[in-house]
Amino acid sequence: MNILILRWLRWLVFAFVLCTLTVLLSGCILPPGGYEYDNGGIGANYYEPSGFVDYGNWGRGYQVAPFRGGDHRPSGGGGHASGHTYKSAPASRSMPSIPSHSRSGGSRSR
Amino acid sequence: MAGIKYVQCNFVGTPGITFDGKIGDVPICRSVKQKGHNHFFRQVLLAILLCIVCVVPVMAAELQLPAIVEPASQERHVGKLIFVQLVTPDIAATKKFYAGLFGWTFRDFQDGGTKYAQAFLDGRPIAGLIHKDIPPAERRQPAWLSFFAVSDVDAAKKVALQNGAKVLFEPHYIPDRGRQAVLADPQGAVFAVLASTSGDPADALAAPGEWIWISLLTSDPDAAAAFYQTLFDYEVFELPASESAQHLLLASENYARASVNSLPASKPNMHPHWLNYVRVEDTVKMTAKVVALGGRVLVEPRIDRHGGKIAVVADPFGAPFGLLEWTDTDSKEVPK
Repeated sequence: MNILILRWLRWLVFAFVLCTLTVLLSGCILPPGGYEYDNGGIGANYYEPSGFVDYGNWGRGYQVAPFRGGDHRPSGGGGHASGHTYKSAPASRSMPSIPSHSRSGGSRSR
Repeated sequence: MAGIKYVQCNFVGTPGITFDGKIGDVPICRSVKQKGHNHFFRQVLLAILLCIVCVVPVMAAELQLPAIVEPASQERHVGKLIFVQLVTPDIAATKKFYAGLFGWTFRDFQDGGTKYAQAFLDGRPIAGLIHKDIPPAERRQPAWLSFFAVSDVDAAKKVALQNGAKVLFEPHYIPDRGRQAVLADPQGAVFAVLASTSGDPADALAAPGEWIWISLLTSDPDAAAAFYQTLFDYEVFELPASESAQHLLLASENYARASVNSLPASKPNMHPHWLNYVRVEDTVKMTAKVVALGGRVLVEPRIDRHGGKIAVVADPFGAPFGLLEWTDTDSKEVPK
C-alpha cells in the first residue's frame, strides 16, 4: 500500500514540475512588436514607450478637429486624380461632419 | 539451462523478484527494465494528461468583460470608434481622476488577478480600465487604446496584414464583449478592431464627457489614409495643408470618423499614434481642472477648424487624450 502511495506521489511531483515548467515557459513567450502585451485573457494590456507624448509645439495651422456641419469643402482638396496612394472622395461630395443629432432620436440632420 | 544463473533484480519502484539474467556478465534484468521503461512512459503520459487537465483551463480562463452597448443594438458601423480602453498601474487613482473630470461612474470586475473597471456616463458604457503594474525597470506609460468597429475581425486582420500591418494580439473572443484583435498599422500606430456582440453604438452627437473624435498623428498620412481606407472602406477628404503638414479626413456612412495628420513639425520623430478626444463645453476650464486633478497639459487650448478650442492633456499616469469643445452655439472663430 505504501509503495502504491509512493508511486502516486512520485508521478504527482513529476506532473507538478512539468506543469510549472509549462507555465513558466508560456510566460516567457513574448509577442512581436515593441508594445507591452500579456494576454490575461483580454489581449489589450497596452503600454506605449515612455516619452511618446511629448507633443511639442503644434504651430499655426496644425488642425485636427472635424468640420462642423454645413461647412464648405475647402478648395484645393480632393476629387482629382493625384499621386496619392489613397482614393480621394469625389469633388462633388460635400465635407462630412460628425453626427449632429442627440441620442434621443431625430433625423440625420446635418 | 547451463550457464544460466537466476539473479534477483530489485528495480526501483518495482517490487518483487524477476528472474531473467545471464551468468558471467553484469546481470541484466530485461523484463524488469522493459517493465521500468513502460512504467516511466506511462508516468510521463499521465503527467502530461494531468498537466493538460490542470493548466489549460487556467490559461483559457478569460475575464468576462461587459458589453460595450447596453442595451444591445443591431447596428454595425464599420470604421467607427466604438470603444476605448486604458491600462493603468493604479486603477483607483485613475478612476478618481476621470470621475472628477467628466463625472464618469465605474463598475468593477475582477477575475483572478485581473482588475477591470467599466466607465459609464449616464448609464452608457464609455471606456474600460485595466490594472497592470509597470515594472520599475521598464520605461513605459499608459495610453488609450482605440477600438474600431468591424464585422469580421479575422477578415480585417487578413487585410491589415496584406497591407503592411502587424498583429500585436491575435483575434480573440471575449465573452459578452465580442471578437477583437490588436494591430499596429504600417507606420506603427496601435489600434484594435472589435466585432461587438452587443452591436455598435448609434451614430449620435456625443454628450459632454463622451468620446467625440479621434485623430491619427503619423509619419506618413498619405500611406496611412490608404491603409485605413482599404481596411475600413473610408472616404478620404483632403484638407488644406499647412507648414508642410498634411491633413486628411476619413469618413464613412456620410459621417466624419477621424482625421489623419502629419506629425507636428516640431516633433518629426514622434511615435505615430491615435489620439482620442472627449467632448467638453469649455476647453480652458477643463484644462485647469485636469491640472487640479493631477494631470498635465501637453498642448494648450487653441482654436481648431470647427471654430471651438481643443487641448491635449495627460492623466496623472501620463495617458494622453484630447479635449474638444463642441457646442451647438459655437460662434465660428476663424482659426489663426
